[in-house]
Amino acid sequence: MLSFYKFIAIREKIMKATFFMCAFFSLFSLLLIMLYLFMNGIPFISKIGFSNFVFGTLWAPLSDVASYGIFNMIIATLYVTALSTLFGGTLGVFTAIALYKFIPKKFVRIISQLINLLAGIPSVIYGLFGMRFVVPFVRDYISNNGVGYGIFSTSLVLGIMILPTIVSISLDSLNSVSSKFYEGALALGATKEIAVFKIMVPAAKSGIFASIILGTGRALGETMAVIMIIGGSPQFPSSIFESVRTLTSNIAMGANELSGDALSALIASGVILFAFSLMLNISFSLIESKKKEN
Amino acid sequence: MKRLIKTMVLVAAGLMVVACNGNKFDSKKNICVISREDGSGTKSAFMEIIGLKGKSDVKDVVIASGTAAVLEEVKINPYAIAYDSLGYITEDVKKLSVDGVEPTTTKIKSGDYKISRPLNVVYKESNVKSSDLLTSYLGFLGTKEAEKIISEKGYVVPVEATNNYQINTALYGTIKISGSTSLQPLMIVLAAKYEALQTSVEIEVSGGGSGTGYANAENDVSNFGMISEEFKLEKAPDCVFSTVAKDGIAIIVNKINTYTNISKDQLKNIYNVEQDSATKISLWKDLDN
Repeated sequence: MLSFYKFIAIREKIMKATFFMCAFFSLFSLLLIMLYLFMNGIPFISKIGFSNFVFGTLWAPLSDVASYGIFNMIIATLYVTALSTLFGGTLGVFTAIALYKFIPKKFVRIISQLINLLAGIPSVIYGLFGMRFVVPFVRDYISNNGVGYGIFSTSLVLGIMILPTIVSISLDSLNSVSSKFYEGALALGATKEIAVFKIMVPAAKSGIFASIILGTGRALGETMAVIMIIGGSPQFPSSIFESVRTLTSNIAMGANELSGDALSALIASGVILFAFSLMLNISFSLIESKKKEN
Repeated sequence: MKRLIKTMVLVAAGLMVVACNGNKFDSKKNICVISREDGSGTKSAFMEIIGLKGKSDVKDVVIASGTAAVLEEVKINPYAIAYDSLGYITEDVKKLSVDGVEPTTTKIKSGDYKISRPLNVVYKESNVKSSDLLTSYLGFLGTKEAEKIISEKGYVVPVEATNNYQINTALYGTIKISGSTSLQPLMIVLAAKYEALQTSVEIEVSGGGSGTGYANAENDVSNFGMISEEFKLEKAPDCVFSTVAKDGIAIIVNKINTYTNISKDQLKNIYNVEQDSATKISLWKDLDN
């Protein structure tokens, strides 16, 4: 018969192996996805040439002389990401500041929970909302050329989508600043506004930046909502009120229909997208590590 | 603080009032050109018919992914123009006559309405020959029962059927069909009828577009692939095709649009990426010239 201690030791070993397997599995899927992207994307990029692919301005995978330039879509992606970060970031940071000190405490909990609820809405619902309300509204009353689709509408909707990320992380980092700073500022004669904006917000700066970068990442990768509001014409964005196409929506539009070289081109644009989000993640961890030093 | 909230509420209310106003068609506005994603059968058929085969989309085009998305967009956008499968079109939008001919099944059958294309299923001949179930379903698509459904749904029957469907109680199993979203709604009804006749058979009909239809039939993912264009052998070299129905492509606009007719040349100018400035049509009133 097994002794009790031996039984415990075996059980420990089994559990250790299980946990190791779980950790290994998530790493393994990351590796598999990267492998898939690179094995299908890199040969295609080297075949048609990096500069032809990234700086080419004509996307026509099905025309007689196929052309796979994604430059216009890269620019559109950057526009959408930047503008939605601007909308969502401004709105989100000020919301966090308001929730931090300027809204009566009894409302703070309910308001922040309602904002967090925004994070639970599926992105296709955002797309539907954008398509039925934002796009017609922009078309009729804001846009100068009668086009509702495009960077402006998409950024508005994405700005709302990334709000919960920005508000909750900014609020957390404001709350984690020692209240002694605030009290000290008040004791020295600062008003509430000065104490918050000149002392507390700068002290929570790195957390607020981190929240904005996370929000940017979400805006960069969002596909379903974008595909319904962006319009979808693969042209250079010369105005924020015209139909353009982002990298993610290009992949989603073509993935079901295209094959052969055109499909490889989509996977290759996935590689470019991956590089963008890698850069965002690296800058996020740089900020985080800087935060630890302070 | 209170004043700020008051102003915000007022502005929001003002915007709502403005938003509910309007709904007059203004022909001095831009035409909003709606097209489909690359690989769509409706798109390649339409572009080929109006003489723009293999051309890119015109600048500022809005891409709607799928037959339903096109309809939805035209329904809410007063300045939109789009092409969509005739059998799919509802009362919510307005169909334009092309060169004075209305898009109706009789006009398509007689050949007067020019913008039409076949709806095909593609399959591997060896697979169908070796399976009684698949042979029976393919046969069913040419029977009087199927013909009745096809014409009821607003499509044109390619060849007049001569015989009724004979139920074979020995058949059982699952048939997988996927592809064109233009043929999909008709195929769902046909499949339901077949399932009612052959109660132990189950048919799964899914979408994806004509590109998917070719690929799934070629790679044995589906028993039948649906395509909404002339069969192109190079897209599925091991497959053959059979025409289920003929479908018109209707040119649709919003209900408040005041135009009722458009010519094929005008359509070509609207959808042409290489349009020259002399014949260019970008505003609705350009159609009057």
